[in-house]
Amino acid sequence: MRRLWFYSLITIAAIASTASAQTFDVKTTTLKNGMKVLVQEDHTIPNVAMYTFYRIGSRNERPGTTGISHFFEHMMFNGAKKYGPGEFDRTMEAAGGSNNAYTNRDTTVYQDWFPRSALDLVFDLEADRIENLSFDPKIIASERGVVASERRTSVDANNAGILFEQLYATAYTAHPYQWPVVGWMVDIENWTMDDLKHHFEMGYSPSNATLVVVGDVTADEIFKLAQTKFETIPSHAPPPKVTTVEPEQMGERRVTVKKYAQLPIVMMAYHVPESASPDQYALTLLQTILLSGQSSRMYQRIVDKDQLAIGINGGFGFSFDANLFNITAQPKAGVDPVAVEKAVYEELDRVKREPVTDQELEKARNIVLATFYRQMSTISGRANTLGAYEVFFGDYHKLFTAVDNYNKVTKADLQQVAQKYFGEKNRTVATLIPEKPPEKTDAPKPAAPKSDPAKN
Amino acid sequence: MTRHLAKIVLFNLALTLAFTLAASAADTAAPTLKLPPYKKVKLKNGMTLLLVERHTVPLIGFHAIIKAGGVSDSIGKDGTASITANLLRKGTKSRSGDQFSQELDFIGGQFNAGASYDFTTLSAQFMKKDINKGLDLLTDVLMNPTFPQDEFAKLLKQRQDGLKASKDQAQAVIGTYFNAYLFSGHPYGRPNGGDETTLAATSRDDVLKFYQSYYTPGNMILAVAGDFSTPEMEKLVTQKFETWPARTSPAINIPQPAPFTGKKLLLIDKPDSTQTYFQIGNVGIARTNADRVYLNVVNTLFGGRFTSMLNSELRIKTGLTYGAGSRFDQRKVPGPFLISTYTKNATTVEAIDKALEVLKQVHEKGVTEEQLKSAKNYIQGQFPPDIETAGQLAGLIADLEFYGLDRNDIDGLYAKINAMTVADAQRVIKQYYPLDNLVFVIIGKASEIGEQVKKYAPKEDTLKITDPGFAVGAGQQAASK
Repeated sequence: MRRLWFYSLITIAAIASTASAQTFDVKTTTLKNGMKVLVQEDHTIPNVAMYTFYRIGSRNERPGTTGISHFFEHMMFNGAKKYGPGEFDRTMEAAGGSNNAYTNRDTTVYQDWFPRSALDLVFDLEADRIENLSFDPKIIASERGVVASERRTSVDANNAGILFEQLYATAYTAHPYQWPVVGWMVDIENWTMDDLKHHFEMGYSPSNATLVVVGDVTADEIFKLAQTKFETIPSHAPPPKVTTVEPEQMGERRVTVKKYAQLPIVMMAYHVPESASPDQYALTLLQTILLSGQSSRMYQRIVDKDQLAIGINGGFGFSFDANLFNITAQPKAGVDPVAVEKAVYEELDRVKREPVTDQELEKARNIVLATFYRQMSTISGRANTLGAYEVFFGDYHKLFTAVDNYNKVTKADLQQVAQKYFGEKNRTVATLIPEKPPEKTDAPKPAAPKSDPAKN
Repeated sequence: MTRHLAKIVLFNLALTLAFTLAASAADTAAPTLKLPPYKKVKLKNGMTLLLVERHTVPLIGFHAIIKAGGVSDSIGKDGTASITANLLRKGTKSRSGDQFSQELDFIGGQFNAGASYDFTTLSAQFMKKDINKGLDLLTDVLMNPTFPQDEFAKLLKQRQDGLKASKDQAQAVIGTYFNAYLFSGHPYGRPNGGDETTLAATSRDDVLKFYQSYYTPGNMILAVAGDFSTPEMEKLVTQKFETWPARTSPAINIPQPAPFTGKKLLLIDKPDSTQTYFQIGNVGIARTNADRVYLNVVNTLFGGRFTSMLNSELRIKTGLTYGAGSRFDQRKVPGPFLISTYTKNATTVEAIDKALEVLKQVHEKGVTEEQLKSAKNYIQGQFPPDIETAGQLAGLIADLEFYGLDRNDIDGLYAKINAMTVADAQRVIKQYYPLDNLVFVIIGKASEIGEQVKKYAPKEDTLKITDPGFAVGAGQQAASK
């Protein structure tokens, strides 16, 4: 009997939570210089997550200075007027805080995580670098080495990284999404001081920024701090509009990378629209049905049934401009990547030809809802997600209506977007083909152990 | 692209701190730290159940520890614990692997299982509304797995190809090579996930035997955290699990590893390398070492955060690398201490020299009062977000239980940190940071760096990245079969 009672309790909770997703009370203000501030109070832990979003990324770059947004992100930690080189990190860590930042094609985002006791200090640190960043040639030279090392680790020493770069460079012919966020190595080596200063002036106007603060604070105190520390920073023109629109692709494009490796990789990508497009929700559900979890169509077919690859994943992210929906698989040893491609295309044809099942659609909605809760379970996740919705959808409220929007999508909608985007003419394929190790150079070979069995 | 890779983990993975704190007191008084109240229940069949509430979002997290991991693999069958964990979801008495995946994904649930050295972990997360279904799935894979032969064969092939993919990426495998070389002959030196030779030698029977020996209620800790009321959840979980018959599991004794005396160096040739990856270290400390808190404070300064001594010298001042750090992997018996970084081929020696210089300096100069204060603040400021979610809390309390620790480990932590002196720091540096006895493992382009790195040790061992296994001599065994 008690068991039944408990079950019924859970059923009630279930109805309550599926009716609409949980919302969080967000307060906002816009400073006189145009900087928008979002605050969400949460006193669960005595900590604060502070995210500053700048609407500038690699799409605002040009050939010759690719990667400068990301490099600039690094420079934001290397000294300003009040807090000199190294002081930003040293001061923040000594007060119990930590930080990081990330750059993508559209935005540059600065993240601070700290105990509330460091609140005033963090605002002081942020204001100093936004207003008075310094450009020391010696530090620029050293940071160039850091970024080159980052590129070697994320691209050169990572076969998927190399291939992904080629995929984008091939799929885009006109639009700036064609170059890598980290930048081409030759550009990393050649930026000038003027390029950096120009980038700062272009991207870092307060009117180009959104500040999101979540945690053990009150909205009033954050608004007051923002007014004191940020409002006096003068605004200026935002980055020039990116007017280039990638022309419609008129036939499949293929690119190969041949290098030393033990296993091949294959990536397939289709042009899809930007986040603000009405197709966003249908595409996200389709991505979930195709690629999320071991019950997904691609995993079932490619990894489980046909056993063609050791793994398959993909999807698309938020973007200002038309994006790529990509599918990446690592074929098993001895499997021709073309066989993997063929199976992927058959699965895509199937979602074009026949509607997904009711069960699949409901599953996708459930996964999207659970993902939403996971993002909301930390102050950091909430700050990042609120900011991303504000920036990419123009309004953070869209975060809380997203679940309802997913519920409105029909099976016919899914079939329609599949037909619209997953066509052969809209496709770019990148394949990494393993090569044997480079021939022995005349450089001395390390002494082999006596027992080396592989010696020839 | 990020500025630096995810926050360097101060304590063991998943081992972070939980606390409750009067938020209003944060500005003035020194912060205090207390685990939220949690309940420990022993089921009749011997299973340990831990319950803690977290109501932020309607999610419920499970974290189970089976007290046997890679260390308990039979000799020559490395990877058995890990394969066993991976196969749990691939078929039960009433569900095929397919059905399990369909049902799990349908409710937006998450399920992960894997083995580390000391134990096997299962973690799962469900929305509150789906708790009955979630528990049904979890109990089914734990109590009724059938390990179908075709699923076993499929996984084995994936693992074998997965090894090739991993060896294409130095960063993914350097830790396995380092453990194999440092702990040569000790269970901690064996590859948890198996290698080319041991996978080929492992059969479904080995998996079945592992499951039958170690997956027993008395050998399991289950922590549940999230949006529920404790008495109700206790009742529900008890009902589900007490039908699992009690069985005895063999005791596991892991020998104390001996630190390496002298210097030795292993170079793994990866001919396409543009960057050299290296780890340097020796045997460190156990999870229950009495000095662990002091070492966590010291290692924050040495190699555990962005402004650490290592990252300052190798990244901030010189631009040699994107990141450098150090850590003590704390296990049942002493795990490794290691320094870890990477740099372009041409600066390999410069970076290794610099790392050794930083190690020497911490021995000679110790830490200052100001540095100590900074590290204390940093740890206390960074802990709370590490125990924010239900999943994190469940992981922490299960971990404490496994290592025979209790809530005092957490509740007394801030007091212990705040009482630490510069003299305490100097003592633990001398005692636990290696200086003259060092093990080096390097993955890079041998034709460029092979000669140069010989200077670090009297003997240079070498492997090719394509050689089977991770240990010197492993390839020899493979070839002779």
